[in-house]
Amino acid sequence: MDASEVEFLAEKEMVKIIPNFSLDKVFLIGGDLGPFNPGLPIDVPVWLALNLKQRQKCRIIPPEWMDVEKLEEMRDLERKEDMFTPCYFKSLNIPNSSFCPQLDNLTLMEINTIRAFLLDTLNCMYKLRSNLQ
Amino acid sequence: MPCERKPMRYGHSEGHTEVCFDDTGRFIVTCGNDGDVRIWESLDDDDPKFITVGEKAYSLALKNGKLVTASSNNTVQIHTFPDGDPDGILTRFTTNATHVAFNSIGSRVAAGSSDFMVKVVEVSDSSQQKTLRGHEAPVLSVTFDPKDDFLASASCDGSVVVWNIEEQTQVISWPLLQKSNDVTNAKSLCRLAWQPGMGKFLAVPVETKVHLYERGSWDHVSTLSDDLLAQPINVVSWSPCERFLAAGCVGGLLTVWDVNSKLCVERQKHEKGFTVCSLAWHPSGSNIAYTDTEGCLGLLDGLGTSTADNNTTKQVATKNPAKDYDDLFDDDDDRLMDEGLSDTKSPAKKAVGWDDDDDDFLVPATGRVKNRGAFLDDENSLGGEVLCSVAPAAAPAVPLRPVYEGPVPTPPQKAFQPGSTPAHLTHRFMMWNSVGIVRGYNDEQDNAIDVEFHDTAVHHAMHLTNSLGHTVADLSQEAVLLACPSTEELASKLQCLHFSSWDTNKEWMVDLPKGEDVRALCLGQGWAAVATSTLMIRLFSIGGVQRELFSLPGPVVCMAGHGEQLLVVYHRATGFDGEQALGVQLLQFSRKRRQLISGEPLPLSQKSYLSWLGFTAEGTPCYVDSDGVVRMLNRSLGNTWTPVCNTRETCKSKSDHYWVVGVHENPQQLRCIPCKGSRYPPTLPRPAVAILPFKLPLCQTTTEKGQMEEQFWRSVLFHDHYSFLSSSGYEIDEDAQNQSQKEQQELLMKMFALSCKLEREFRCVELAEMMTQNVVTLAIRYASRSRRMALAQRLSEIALEKSNQMQEEEQEEQEEEPEYSSTRRAGGRYSRRQNQQEEQEDEEERGEELMEEEDRQEMEPEEATETKKRVNPFAKEVPGSGKMSASSSQPRVTNILDNMTSSKKSAQLSSSGGKPSKSPILKPLAPKPKTKTQSTLLQMAATKTANKKVQENTEPAANLQKRPDTPPPGPPAENSENKRPKTGFQLWLEENRKSILADNPDLEETDVIKEAMGRFRTLSAEERLSWTERAKGQSGDAADLKKRKRAEGGEGLENENEKAEADESSAKKKKSLDTSSKLSLFAFNRN
Repeated sequence: MDASEVEFLAEKEMVKIIPNFSLDKVFLIGGDLGPFNPGLPIDVPVWLALNLKQRQKCRIIPPEWMDVEKLEEMRDLERKEDMFTPCYFKSLNIPNSSFCPQLDNLTLMEINTIRAFLLDTLNCMYKLRSNLQ
Repeated sequence: MPCERKPMRYGHSEGHTEVCFDDTGRFIVTCGNDGDVRIWESLDDDDPKFITVGEKAYSLALKNGKLVTASSNNTVQIHTFPDGDPDGILTRFTTNATHVAFNSIGSRVAAGSSDFMVKVVEVSDSSQQKTLRGHEAPVLSVTFDPKDDFLASASCDGSVVVWNIEEQTQVISWPLLQKSNDVTNAKSLCRLAWQPGMGKFLAVPVETKVHLYERGSWDHVSTLSDDLLAQPINVVSWSPCERFLAAGCVGGLLTVWDVNSKLCVERQKHEKGFTVCSLAWHPSGSNIAYTDTEGCLGLLDGLGTSTADNNTTKQVATKNPAKDYDDLFDDDDDRLMDEGLSDTKSPAKKAVGWDDDDDDFLVPATGRVKNRGAFLDDENSLGGEVLCSVAPAAAPAVPLRPVYEGPVPTPPQKAFQPGSTPAHLTHRFMMWNSVGIVRGYNDEQDNAIDVEFHDTAVHHAMHLTNSLGHTVADLSQEAVLLACPSTEELASKLQCLHFSSWDTNKEWMVDLPKGEDVRALCLGQGWAAVATSTLMIRLFSIGGVQRELFSLPGPVVCMAGHGEQLLVVYHRATGFDGEQALGVQLLQFSRKRRQLISGEPLPLSQKSYLSWLGFTAEGTPCYVDSDGVVRMLNRSLGNTWTPVCNTRETCKSKSDHYWVVGVHENPQQLRCIPCKGSRYPPTLPRPAVAILPFKLPLCQTTTEKGQMEEQFWRSVLFHDHYSFLSSSGYEIDEDAQNQSQKEQQELLMKMFALSCKLEREFRCVELAEMMTQNVVTLAIRYASRSRRMALAQRLSEIALEKSNQMQEEEQEEQEEEPEYSSTRRAGGRYSRRQNQQEEQEDEEERGEELMEEEDRQEMEPEEATETKKRVNPFAKEVPGSGKMSASSSQPRVTNILDNMTSSKKSAQLSSSGGKPSKSPILKPLAPKPKTKTQSTLLQMAATKTANKKVQENTEPAANLQKRPDTPPPGPPAENSENKRPKTGFQLWLEENRKSILADNPDLEETDVIKEAMGRFRTLSAEERLSWTERAKGQSGDAADLKKRKRAEGGEGLENENEKAEADESSAKKKKSLDTSSKLSLFAFNRN
C-alpha cells in the first residue's frame, strides 16, 4: 500500500463536524449520513468533512486524542513501556491530509506557540530527506 | 444600645478579609483575597491607598509602622507602614500562614500556618525564630500573652494550646473545638484574644460562647454567652480598656460583653448577614471595624458612649474630664452631626444628660485625632484609667434592640436574556439560540458585536461596532434585535437589524422614553417585544411599527418569543429563604389574541432561580432552573409544567453544568453546552453543542414497567404539540404523528402484556382504557389466548364503549365542521361518557343531526348510503327492542347504535357486576357486540387513512354531479324523486324557503341551504324537535323499508372499501366468535 492508498482508507475514519447548513439524510453506499442540522455536531467520514470544510460548510471538531494533555500522556506512556502501546488514533495519516485546514480556527497565541515547532519539524523533515538521499 | 452601624462598603473581592487599626487609630487597614492591603483614612475614604503583598493575603498585623502580612506565597512579609515598601521576609512556611499577630510591644511576631506549626520571630532579626510544634492540624489563630511569656494558639485538630515561648513547650491544651481538616472547613476561625494590660484572661470562642481562662491557673473561670447567638463565634477582640469583649459570628451577629458584669451590652447584626471574619477596636475604644467573608468593611460607631459605667471610675468620669474633652475636641461640626444622630438613639440614655460629652468623645471615631499627645496626657492624669471610662449610663439596662430572625427575603433575580452569559464578562455570548449566536466583545481594543448564523443560508455573519453599548440581544430568522441601557445623556435605545426585509432599509432604531430602560427583549415571527423598567411590555412589528403595549404585574425576569406566542416571566412577589416568586404569562398574537396563561406562579426547584426560558422548536414553552431541571408545558393537563429532564444528573462533577441552548420535541433533543466547572461557557475555545435525552422523573425507571411507563408518558407529552399546532392552524407532519401514536400504542400493548404476565388484570383493564379501539381488540385477543376470559370480557366492554365514543366524536365532528379532520379523531380521548346522559342529549341533538344529515345527503350522497348500510344488520337483528322501533324511522345510524349499546351495556355491566341471574341475557347478545365492534373497528382503522381520500374524491364528484342538475328547485326535487322521508329540516325549509329567497334574492341554491341551516339552528330546541316530530309522522314505517332497500343497492367508493373490510372482518370473525363462545360457556359455568 502506498501512501495515497493509506490515505484513501484513512478517509473513512469518522470525525465530528458542526455543519452550517441543513440537509436531510443522504443515502450512500457506505451508509446513511445525516440528517444535518445547522449548529449540531454530527459524525461524518473524513473525506466528507474535508470536502465540506473546503466549501466552508462546516467546522471540524478535533478528535478527542488531539489534545495536548492526552498526547503528552500517550508519549510518556510510550516512553515508559517496552512493548507497543495501544494506539488510540487508528490512522496517523489523518493529520497529514485533513487537519491543515483546521489552522484557520487557531487563535494567534496558538499559532505563535506552534510556529517554532513547525519550523523545527520542517528542518527535521528536510534533514531526514537529505539523509535518505 | 446607642451605637451606630455604618453602612458596609466594598473593601476587597470576596473571601477572607482581616482588619486592624494603626497605632494612632487614624487608619483602618484591611487585607483580603485580592492580595491587597488597603489603608483607609475613614470608612468614607473613596480612594484608599493600597499595597499589594501577594496574590492573596490571609492575615495582617500592624504595629510600630511595620505591617506584617501572611500571603499566598507561604511567606510572612514585612512592609513599612504607611509607605508600603517591602521590608523583607520574616519567615517562611511549607504552606500559607493562617494568622499573624504582634506581641504587645511589637518586638515579636507569631505566625500560625496550615503546616501545623507556629513560629515566633523577632521582628528586628528574623533569624531568631522559635518554632512551636505539637498541633496536629492547621493552626487557626495565635495570640501573645501581653507579658510575652506565653502564646496561645488554636488549631483545626480541636485543641487550644498555651505555649511557653522560651521553652517552646505546651503549658496546657484544651480540646475545645470541633475537628476539621483545613482552615476553610473549620466551623469557626477561633481567633483567640488575650486581655491586654495584665493579661488576666484568655478569651476563647467556643461554638456560640466565649470561654475565659485565667492566666497562670489556666482555669475556666467564666463563660460569656448570649441567647441570640445561634451560630459559632468566629473572632473575639478585647477593647483597649480591657473591659469589653467584642465577638463576631458566622451569621453576621456582633456582640459586645461587659466582662465584669458578664452582660451583653451591645448587639448588632451585619446588614446582609454575612460572616464576620475579623474585627478590631479603635485604640480609643469608641468604635469597632469589622470585615466579612464577602470582602466588605463595616464600622460600629459610638461605642464610647456605652462603654461607660466603670465602677471604679464612676466618680472620675463626671463633669471634669468631660470638660477636658470638650476643650480637646472642639470640632463643633462633628458635634452637631453627632447630636443629630444621638437624637435617634434611645431616649433612656438621653435622660442621663450626658449627650454632649459623649458625643464629643465620639470625635476620634471619625479617624482624626487632633492632639494625640494631649489626649494621652489627659489619660494619664486620670490615674492611668482607660479611655473608655467616660459616660455613666445604665448600659445593661438599655433595652436590647430586637434582632429579626425570621425568614429572610431573597434578593430578586435580575432580568436576563435566556441564552446569554453575564454582562460583566468582556467576551460573552449575548445570545445563543437555535438560529445563531450573537457574541459581544468589550475590551480595550474593541467594543463589537458578532452575529453568526448556524445555518449560513439564513444570512451571512455580521460584525457590528457596538458604539451604543448594547447589552441585550435576540436573534431570529428575520432580524437581530439589540438594546442598550440609558446613560445620563442618552435614552435607552432599541435597534433592530431587519435583514430579511425586502426593501433597502434593513435597520431601524427606537428611543425609549426618558427614564425607561430596556430590561429584556425577544423576537417572534413578525414582531418584537421589549420589557422595560417601568413594568411595561412594548410590542413592535418587525418593520418598526409600534403596536400594543401592556403593563406587567412585576419586574420582568425574562421573555421568549416563538411564532405568535410570547412567554413572559416576572417577579410576582418577594421570595423568602432563597426561593424566587416568579409568575408567568403566555400570550398568543394570532388573529384571535388571547392570554393562554395569565400570571400563574412558575414552579422552580427549591432555592433555585430561573436560568433559561424559551420554546421548543415545535412551540411548547419550556424553562430551566439553576438546579438544571428542565420543565415543559403540558397543554393537555391544564397548562401544567412537567419536569422532563434534570441536566445535573448527567454531570460528572458537582461544579459542572449544562448551559441549555435549545429544546426539540421531535426528535427529542435537549441541546446544551457542557461547561466544566462553571455555569457558562467561554467564547473561546468555541464550545460544542451536546445533546441530552429527556427523562421524566417517574418512579422505578430501573424496572421494565417503569421504563415503559416513562417512555409512554414521555411520548404522550412530547407529541402533545401536534394537537396544539393543528388547533392553531399550522400544518403538521401527519406521518410523524401517526408514527408517534403507533409507538404509544405499542408501548401500551407491551405494558399490557407485562401486566398480563404479572397477573395484574385490573391493571390490564386500566391500560386498555388508554388504548385506541383497534389496539383493544388486539388486547382482547391476547387476553383470550392467554386464557383470561374475565379479562377478555371486560376488555370487550371497553372496546364497545370506545366504538361508541368514536362514533360520538365523529358525529360531533361533523356537527362542528362537516369536513373530516383525521387529526382529531386520533386524539385518543380517555374520558368515559355517561351513556344515559347521551341518550337524553340525543333527543336534543337529533334535530341538529338531522339537519346535518340532510346536508350530507345533499352534498355527499355516497356517504349517506354508506352510513345507512352500516346500520342495517342491526336493524334486522334487533327488531324486538322498543327503542329500535321508535328510532327506526330515523335515518340516522349512530343514534340507533347508541341506543342499542346503552341498553346492552347496562345488561352486561350488571351481569359482570356479580348477578349471574341475568347472564342468559348476555348470552344471545354477547356475540353481537363482538362482531359489531370488530367491524366498526376495522372500518375505522381503514377509513382513518381512507376517509381523507374518499372525502377528497367524493366532494368534487358531488360537486360535479350537482352542478349540471341544480335547477332552482334543486335538492328537494331530488329528494322527492328518491321518495326519501322528509326530515324536520326539510319541512321547515319548504315553509321558509320563500322568506329566505325574499331576503336574499341572489343566493345560489347551496347558499340558500346554508342560510336556511343557519336559521334552523337559531330556532329553539323545542321548535326543532317539533319539526322533527312532524317529519316522523309523515314518513312512517315506509321509510324503514326503503332504507333497507337503498342500502342493498349501495354503491360508490365507500361501498368498495366496505367490502374489502368486510372480507377482512369475516376472516377475523371466526376467531372472535371462538372467544365469545368460550365466554358464553364460561358464563354458563358460573351459573
